Amino acid sequence: MGDSKSEILQGTLDLMVLQTLEAMGPLHGYGIARRIEQISDDMLSLNQGTIYASLLRLQQRRWIAASWGTSENNRKAKFYAITRSGRRQLATEAENWHRIAGIIGRMLRLAER
Amino acid sequence: MLTRLFVLLSRLRALAARHRVDEEFDDEIATHLALLTDEYMRRGMTSDAARRAALLAFGGAAQIKEQQREDRGLRFVDATVQDLRYAVRSLRRNTAFATVTILTLAVGIAAATAMFTVAHAVLLRPLPFPEPERLVEISEVNPLKGWTHTVVAPANLADWRARNTVFTDIAGYIGLDDRGASHYRAFLFGAGETQVLNGIAVMGNLFDVLGTRPLAGRTFTFDETFEGHDAVVVLTYGTWQTIFGADPAIVGRTIVLNGRSTTVVGVMPADFFFPNKSVQFWVPVGVKPDLFARMRGPHWMHTVARLRPGVSMAHAREQMSGIAADLERIYPDSNTKMGVRLEPLHTIMAADARPTVLMLGGSVALLFLIVCANVASLQLGRGLGRAREIAVRRALGAGRPRLVRQLLTEGLVLSMAGTAIGVLLALAAPALLARATAGLLPLYATPTVDGAVLTFAAALGLVAPLVFGLMPALTSSRVERLSLRTETASPPATRAREMLVACEVGLAVVLVVGSVLLARSLYRLEQVDPGFKAEHVVSFMISLPHPRYDDAAQEQGFVEIERRLKQIPGVQAVGGTSALALRGTTYTSPATIEGRRPADYEQELRHKSVTPDYFRTMGIPLLAGRFLDAHDGPTNLAIVVNDALARAYFRGGNPLGQRLKFGTPGDPDPWNTIVGVVADEKQDGLDKDTQPEAYSAFTASAQNPFTFVIRSALSDEAVVAAARQTVRGFDPQVAITDVAPLSAVVAASIGSERFRATLIGAFAGVAMFLAALGIYGVLAYVVSQRARELGIRLALGARPQELFAMVVRQGMRPVLIGTAVGVAAALALTRLLASLLFAVRPADPVTYTVSLTALAAIALTACALPATRATRVDPLVALHED
Repeated sequence: MGDSKSEILQGTLDLMVLQTLEAMGPLHGYGIARRIEQISDDMLSLNQGTIYASLLRLQQRRWIAASWGTSENNRKAKFYAITRSGRRQLATEAENWHRIAGIIGRMLRLAER
Repeated sequence: MLTRLFVLLSRLRALAARHRVDEEFDDEIATHLALLTDEYMRRGMTSDAARRAALLAFGGAAQIKEQQREDRGLRFVDATVQDLRYAVRSLRRNTAFATVTILTLAVGIAAATAMFTVAHAVLLRPLPFPEPERLVEISEVNPLKGWTHTVVAPANLADWRARNTVFTDIAGYIGLDDRGASHYRAFLFGAGETQVLNGIAVMGNLFDVLGTRPLAGRTFTFDETFEGHDAVVVLTYGTWQTIFGADPAIVGRTIVLNGRSTTVVGVMPADFFFPNKSVQFWVPVGVKPDLFARMRGPHWMHTVARLRPGVSMAHAREQMSGIAADLERIYPDSNTKMGVRLEPLHTIMAADARPTVLMLGGSVALLFLIVCANVASLQLGRGLGRAREIAVRRALGAGRPRLVRQLLTEGLVLSMAGTAIGVLLALAAPALLARATAGLLPLYATPTVDGAVLTFAAALGLVAPLVFGLMPALTSSRVERLSLRTETASPPATRAREMLVACEVGLAVVLVVGSVLLARSLYRLEQVDPGFKAEHVVSFMISLPHPRYDDAAQEQGFVEIERRLKQIPGVQAVGGTSALALRGTTYTSPATIEGRRPADYEQELRHKSVTPDYFRTMGIPLLAGRFLDAHDGPTNLAIVVNDALARAYFRGGNPLGQRLKFGTPGDPDPWNTIVGVVADEKQDGLDKDTQPEAYSAFTASAQNPFTFVIRSALSDEAVVAAARQTVRGFDPQVAITDVAPLSAVVAASIGSERFRATLIGAFAGVAMFLAALGIYGVLAYVVSQRARELGIRLALGARPQELFAMVVRQGMRPVLIGTAVGVAAALALTRLLASLLFAVRPADPVTYTVSLTALAAIALTACALPATRATRVDPLVALHED
């Protein structure tokens, strides 16, 4: 992989998807993938297809729900929306993430000295 | 936790709708790719380049779909489905193996399921009453009279009801013969032929004790037990439906039962019966209340009682024994040594059938094990043939557990197919059993294939693959990778197969010994002289409609019927009796012999009334004195006694001229003079010793119904037809029932013995066949594997006989081991058969000789075929094979 792009950390994609749906409202798979790429300024190396594994996982846990609708180019598309338990999960995960990021940041700072 | 459940549910749902979900996902990805392509085109790419770029950015669509499928489904289920497909495909490639295995399993499962159907009906299915486990039968026992389980005296029953605190109530009923069939007849006179219904006479509280509510109307009140209130009847559902055409106004309708106007007060539900399905109606016993309270001598009531909630059987037994002891003190004349016996109602009902059902169930279990051993051996054999395939799969990375699972799945497929066929076969069982066991099963039990039976079959089908499949799967999957090229017999597999053969032979020995024992017992039973000459004699029962025939008219009626029967051309002799032998009916009375101490003879004597020609018709020889004749009767009380009575009561002394009365020494009954001694005829069964019995002239004590016997040179059908016509000519309302050639009566009396001997014989036959198949299979394989070696031996000058002997020796080794174990097991197990055997000891040497000879012959035959092939191996062909 190129130097400028980061691999997605295992498990973080789910968090990104949840956050995207929380922020943007219902979206189809393509929309979610586009949004994540835009936010990351194309710094992430994301195979757009991998988003579907995450979407399935989240659906199976009932954190998001899917319904059929029509896309902007008039095609049948599945729209995903975050559920109530998904929001709760997002809050927990986000807090978790901040805490771990803080810990790792501190460790790295200590190591740099 | 909940999340995990959601995941599982979602996976199951996806699995159920896998095709729809797949298509939806295809659509979703197509949309995604289209949107992405549009985006690239907006950025200025050509449509082709945009599509390629989109596919690239999306990542491998096929992998993602596959991944999705995996994540969505249950990996285990997917793998199982895969295993199943593989199993079906691989079995289809080997139809001979699959067919033999499936059919073998089908036979085993059909036999086991059919037997379970019977066992379930007889022993397991609860009786159809509320809380049936609280129902108890109380009987009386008396060591002085040799009673171990006897109907009770009404006055004792009345006292038990008054004194006990352990039962909610005790009810009594009458009208069953010794075999539990109803012999209480009622004649329903209508426009056409007189209908004969079987019923029982009950105490009014019977239905309250049983606890079942009527379908319509009401049951009896206690007061209706007694004379004056007893013109009421409760019908079974079947009687209401068939005899009364489901008349909706049946309750309250008056019917003429035995010539008496009787009111139908209720109809019981369809599934209700008591005490068995031969009963079509219930009427009150209709005794006088004071008589009921005083009758302590005659014993004639069956009982059923319901334990109070929470009262244990032990407690009830203890209290009832105490009450019996009290009664013994109060009424020493009648109740000395009179005790009580309490048993669960179901136990009593099933008592006669239990040993047979358990024996047959055990036999079927053995047979099923043989079936499993045989299938296991077949699978091992197949495993050897598949060594290459298995080795390849292992080499490609399949783990042993995965292979074992695959092989077990294959077993499951076989077993399921076998179960399906087996269940189909077993579905026919109730009809077949009903025919084969007519009158042999307890009358309350109707074998039906219901949920429990199907569950049993399914469980058997699921467990069987573990029994027959685990060992072969473990053995086969152990194929060494290196043996792939040579593909020689894997020694552990052959040894395992030999072990299985030994097991099969051992199990077969047990079954064969058991069946030979029962067959010999049956043969001995058939050789028993019933004491009369049954050939060319037909019997039938005649019932005169009660109200029109009082005692005198009955006597005249029977005399006239007998006179007219004698005039039928071709008839040689006609006789009549109140109780035909081997039919389950006996009459007993207290008896006293003049001038003898009561201790010198048994005080309860069997007796029946007969017409003078009864003995001649039956072919019962006269040993001393004379037969009864037309002059004997109420004014000339003469009796004939059987040899058993002469021996037991007079011990070599001359009984002729001695006098006997039916009553206790103090009773004012008249004396009967013994005028003749006849040879013993069997009474209760061919296997039972004849008990002392007295025959009195029927004119001295007429009995209705009365059984006639006719000896003639005509065919049975012709005699019966002529007799029917004669009787109808006398009075069209007379009922003729129980028509049967005397030889059929004798045969029917050992019907259950014949049935179980036939059935276990069939099991043993199948067992021997399977064992022979097992022996043959292993040996044939060994010979084919050793063809090259055998060929070399032949080429080097070995004589064919030597090779033959060598192969037979190898084949017989497991047979000998199995036989040794089997004989030991048979010696232990057949002791359980003792109660079913007549005049044969369980350790009967003849039986063992016959069984082992038969087995040896069959085993040698099974060995001889492959051994012969061994001697015909062409050395050149054998050497060229590889």
